[in-house]
Amino acid sequence: MHCATTKTRDNSHKKILLMGLPNVGKSAIFSRFTGLHVMVSNYTGTTVEFTEGTMTVGEESYTLIDVPGVYDIKESIDDAERVAISMLEEKPDAIVFVVDALNLESSLHLLMQVLEYGLPTVVALNRVDLLKVRSVQIDTRVIQAGLNVPVVPTIALGGDSLDAVKTRLSEVLVKQEKPRYVLEEDDKRWDRVERIVERATKPLPAEASAKPDRFAFLIRPWPGLPIALGVLLLVFATVIGLGMGLRQFIIMPLFEGVRVGEQTVGLFPWIRAGVDALGIDGTLQRILVGDYGFLIKGIEWPFGLVLPYVLSFYLAMSILEDTGYLPRLAVLLDGVFRKIGLPGNTIIPLLLGYGCGIPAILSTRSMRSRKQRVAVAVMISLAVPCVAQSSAFMFLLVEHSLLALVLVFLIGLLALVLVGFVMDRIKRQPMPFTLTELPEMLAPTPSLLGKKVFIRVKHYVKDGAIPMVMAIFATAILYELGVLDVAGRAMAPLVSGWLRLPEEAATPLLIGIVRRELAVLPLIDMDLTTVQLFTGAVVALFYVPCVAMIVTLAKEFNAKVAVGTLLFTTTTALLIGGLLARLGGLLTMWFG
Amino acid sequence: MAVMDDMLTTDALATMNRLEKGDEGVVFSVPDVRLLASLGIRLGKRVRVLARSFASGPVIVDVGSRSVVVDRALAAQITIRK
Repeated sequence: MHCATTKTRDNSHKKILLMGLPNVGKSAIFSRFTGLHVMVSNYTGTTVEFTEGTMTVGEESYTLIDVPGVYDIKESIDDAERVAISMLEEKPDAIVFVVDALNLESSLHLLMQVLEYGLPTVVALNRVDLLKVRSVQIDTRVIQAGLNVPVVPTIALGGDSLDAVKTRLSEVLVKQEKPRYVLEEDDKRWDRVERIVERATKPLPAEASAKPDRFAFLIRPWPGLPIALGVLLLVFATVIGLGMGLRQFIIMPLFEGVRVGEQTVGLFPWIRAGVDALGIDGTLQRILVGDYGFLIKGIEWPFGLVLPYVLSFYLAMSILEDTGYLPRLAVLLDGVFRKIGLPGNTIIPLLLGYGCGIPAILSTRSMRSRKQRVAVAVMISLAVPCVAQSSAFMFLLVEHSLLALVLVFLIGLLALVLVGFVMDRIKRQPMPFTLTELPEMLAPTPSLLGKKVFIRVKHYVKDGAIPMVMAIFATAILYELGVLDVAGRAMAPLVSGWLRLPEEAATPLLIGIVRRELAVLPLIDMDLTTVQLFTGAVVALFYVPCVAMIVTLAKEFNAKVAVGTLLFTTTTALLIGGLLARLGGLLTMWFG
Repeated sequence: MAVMDDMLTTDALATMNRLEKGDEGVVFSVPDVRLLASLGIRLGKRVRVLARSFASGPVIVDVGSRSVVVDRALAAQITIRK
């Protein structure tokens, strides 16, 4: 969503629109045409904001716009449809219309509506490779003749079929070939589409015709629910196992060094030796390699501690996304989510939130009600720890108490349900109907998966790791100059009095405003009791999400939502933290 | 609300929310929701129930080999002739 330039319209440039139904491969075609990486997923609504890039057709360069997928452009019920209509009205130079070979009727119905604008159009009949699964054959000539447009069969995820689209595109652009198309009345359109589809499709001799309901068991309560639990546990185990393995066996040995004969060879010993060799000492030396040593913690925390889990999380999440399982999970849970006034596909932003809250909040754009969007955004801000914070929790708690670690995540889940429940009761509104289509279940393509994980890790380094390094640098300076000590004493009534943590635990509360995991990481070296560790972790979980998320809330909704969330999360964190500290104290007294 | 022309055979009619898993039929009447048409639920189309979700969740039907998820409340407004 962030990789291609967004919403910067250059009117001098010639424009080509890329249009079609949701989830038909527009973004995949966009990536192939422009060389820009757009996030592609196997569910509807991946492109909510439009993206644009440059493509060359013949000698000329054009701006290609990836228009969000819509079903219908007559009834503008959501933002995506309004965007599509306004773009058509701006009279682009040409349209590449992507027809889903698996869903000919609805595609052609939309195509007819688009053709009514009378613009030069080329049709890409995409996903023809999947027709074998349905054991049907499509005669492109029938569509071409029926609607008077050039039709090119394509496979967006591979092969060179897209070159043919470009060739046809250059022809219609040169000739300014406009479709000769008779306007159709609304209720006649479906009849005409059905006639074309009937003539264009022929069943293949059904050898291994896969039934469409092959995966229906995934959405039935039995065995769907146990399977869902199993899948989520498997994802959880993969993220933790792979992350820990990467950290322990690959990244940390590189950082902390391995013994080779008499010497320890690695990044950190080398940095320490380097600082010594340069004769740096005193405050500057401590800023570089001391307690918050910028050259040590500034590398270890973002890259040694968090990066392995970012990798394992996004690998697991991307596989889930590309198979088409997530929409099935959403359908399975729809009834339950509706009890708290949210649709089942809320599960997608929530799961994304365990990676990073920002893409999670952006993904709520595909929800139709603003009230629901705000509810989900608040839930994520309060109680869904991002992957960076989760890895910090694991590092903090795993050796002291596995129970405490599990409890932290469970308290988060409980809070999610409670917030959803309360938000639903505050302003009851009629809920929009759940009405959607399930995508095909597909085996993920390794190359596509690799690209997706790469894009997401790159985002993490740019938008996550670098701000983290800078925050650690600032902390190192404030700490060594004694500023944090003074702040700690000033906040003592809150930190020691109410939360029963040592005074120095004011530091994570201060720097935790910047980033979620920084509310946890400083606790690691503080030698705390299990109750204190647990209190600290829960406070950090509910505490201020992070600066970037607050900004996102303000941009997506308004300042009121952002400030409200800030106050709500902070008070909840401190209130529950203090109560837990007391409860933990009592339990320790009773059970020793 | 669009209704099929022949109103004579109203004997085997049921709303979609009442169908069981595996039940089949032809769409007899649909409410005026354009997205339903785009998803293939139009008059005269053959549908088959693939699954019924729990906790008053949606009905999932197979329409021309597409799997369409229909809210239970919306399904109550769609009549199917078995």
